[in-house]
Amino acid sequence: MEKFIDHCCEKCFNSEEKRCDVFVECCLEGPLCHESEPCKKAREAIVEKYSHSSAFREH
Amino acid sequence: MYERHVLICAGTGCISSGADKVEEALIESLKEHNLENKVRIIMSGCHGFCEKGPLFIVFPEDVFYCGVQAEDVSEIVEEYLVKGNLVERLLYKDPVTGEQVINHDKIMFYSKQKRLALRNCGVIDPENIDEYIIRGGYKGLKRALQMNPEEVVNEVKTSGLRGRGGAGFPAGMKWQFGLSSPGDKKYVVCNADEGDPGAFMDRSILEGDPHAVLEGMMVAGQATGADEGYIYVRSEYPLAIKRLRTAIKQAEEYGMLGENILDSGFNFKVKIKEGAGAFVCGEETALLASIEGKRGVPRHRPPFPAVKGLWEKPTVINNVETLANVPLIMRRGAENFASVGTEGSKGTKVFALTGKVNNTGLVEVPMGISIREVVFDIGGGIRFGKKFKAAQIGGPSGGCIPEEHLDLPIDFDSLTAAGAMMGSGGLVVVDEDTCMVDMARYFLSFTKKESCGQCIPCRLGTDQMYDILEAITEGKGKPGDVALLEELASAVKKGSMCGLGQTAPNPVLTTLRYFRDEYEAHVHEKRCPALVCKALLKYQIDEEKCIGCQRCIKACPVDAITGEKKQPHEIDQELCTQCGACFDACPKKVGAVQVLSEGLTENKELAVREESK
Repeated sequence: MEKFIDHCCEKCFNSEEKRCDVFVECCLEGPLCHESEPCKKAREAIVEKYSHSSAFREH
Repeated sequence: MYERHVLICAGTGCISSGADKVEEALIESLKEHNLENKVRIIMSGCHGFCEKGPLFIVFPEDVFYCGVQAEDVSEIVEEYLVKGNLVERLLYKDPVTGEQVINHDKIMFYSKQKRLALRNCGVIDPENIDEYIIRGGYKGLKRALQMNPEEVVNEVKTSGLRGRGGAGFPAGMKWQFGLSSPGDKKYVVCNADEGDPGAFMDRSILEGDPHAVLEGMMVAGQATGADEGYIYVRSEYPLAIKRLRTAIKQAEEYGMLGENILDSGFNFKVKIKEGAGAFVCGEETALLASIEGKRGVPRHRPPFPAVKGLWEKPTVINNVETLANVPLIMRRGAENFASVGTEGSKGTKVFALTGKVNNTGLVEVPMGISIREVVFDIGGGIRFGKKFKAAQIGGPSGGCIPEEHLDLPIDFDSLTAAGAMMGSGGLVVVDEDTCMVDMARYFLSFTKKESCGQCIPCRLGTDQMYDILEAITEGKGKPGDVALLEELASAVKKGSMCGLGQTAPNPVLTTLRYFRDEYEAHVHEKRCPALVCKALLKYQIDEEKCIGCQRCIKACPVDAITGEKKQPHEIDQELCTQCGACFDACPKKVGAVQVLSEGLTENKELAVREESK
């Protein structure tokens, strides 16, 4: 999972045909439709990668 | 994970100063030092301090290097990124205290700002939607999609957001009109036809945070029932257009644009329309005509576009900065937004601060801040220790605010009461060396050229006003000209069809209001107190000071100066064209060439300038 739009695993169903209504929240707090530590860490890694300062996420 | 992030400002200003080459040099240097996996490069949007660009900021420490060129990069990498030693020569130096400042938020230019509309500019990579999402992006849209249109409109009404494009009309009320107008097809239009000379607020937002504008448009669509949007942007903004196209593509890929957005049933698509550069197309009805492929000229209102707009369908038109505020209002709530600013003017305003101040650039300040704070704290005061004379606020259609109103709060109503206007956000500071008559002439030369010519008061009135101003600055002013100017200005203001003509006389009216003595001096005494109007100047050489270096003789294009080497020189007033070349050529430490504007005055209170402009 390099980008938020990438599926973290086969359980993620977000696609052009079937949009996820909690996609925005899922990027930062997900996964929301299933429990998975690796999937959670994959999202956190993206956030970590781009957060260049402590204030980056606080805005 | 990266140990450090280097943020290089990649707004148009910094790119033109070499930011691209800085990036190339940094990539190379990081490779040389095996740091490419430890240091991340972010090419961000505009950081605002364009004068000091290219800007190079190292995070997480927030070390702010300015004026960085490609040849400086290896030193920053070797000394700072590898060894941890600051490269002091590239740090910002405060123009008042002379002290070096390491962190950007300690620099006065930034410390008094409140960046809401510019919250992501200079912070994120504008071509990366993930960074926008991490910063809270699209949460406002999500909330709007959970509300019904009336609730969204009410939220924007409660926030007190007023249009940032010029007129300051309440955005929520405009949306209410759009919502109330019946129609199976409605549009949202983003007015990005930023035409004021020197203004680049909207360009910077589009370049630095394009998703904020898209999100704002989508919220407007949800509020009014529109499913299609247009961004009308100047074709002279290629970088903004490129980043907008990238953002639209990414938003579509992420399901933020298109059909059934976030599984809400809401559909919205956005198209870009490039404008050809006519200033009048910033006027909303002219803009709509241009999108429709017609000649871009205004039409009478009512009906207003919110009732009958693009292709006769209800259309809500908002400016870039207005739309960039919307996601924040939806995400943080109306009360949070309304907590900033004054009673009648909520939130912040972005200004392009230019002119004779030490720090020029893009600044975002809370409504209600005084002009003094903007000019002397954020702007660092007047260059070369000169005296503040006025602030021209609101672009070519704005007005001049003199020194006695330096403490005037910057908000829609105070500025209007003082004869100026918020406008789109141009703020030009002028010092004692500026002739206010000439400045009014200059701004009118712009608006008269940009008049579409459709209505007589604007087409002929601005022309006639310009002719009078030109005559006055050329020493041909006649008694009665000032009164005639006032009469014409009033007629143009009242009789013009659109905002261009209705506001074009503002620079004349405010300079007449606050600097009438300068007009009188030009007309009655044939004197330019600021020593600007060429026809009213006289150059002469002070025999006592002249060292006979002949530099002025060589510089004079009309051979009006004579004199032997090491002997005092003399200017033939019959031949002199008052070009000022001799003044510029004379060494400053000698200062033998003087500029005078004696005029017809008998008391010989000559205005003599011995310093360089």
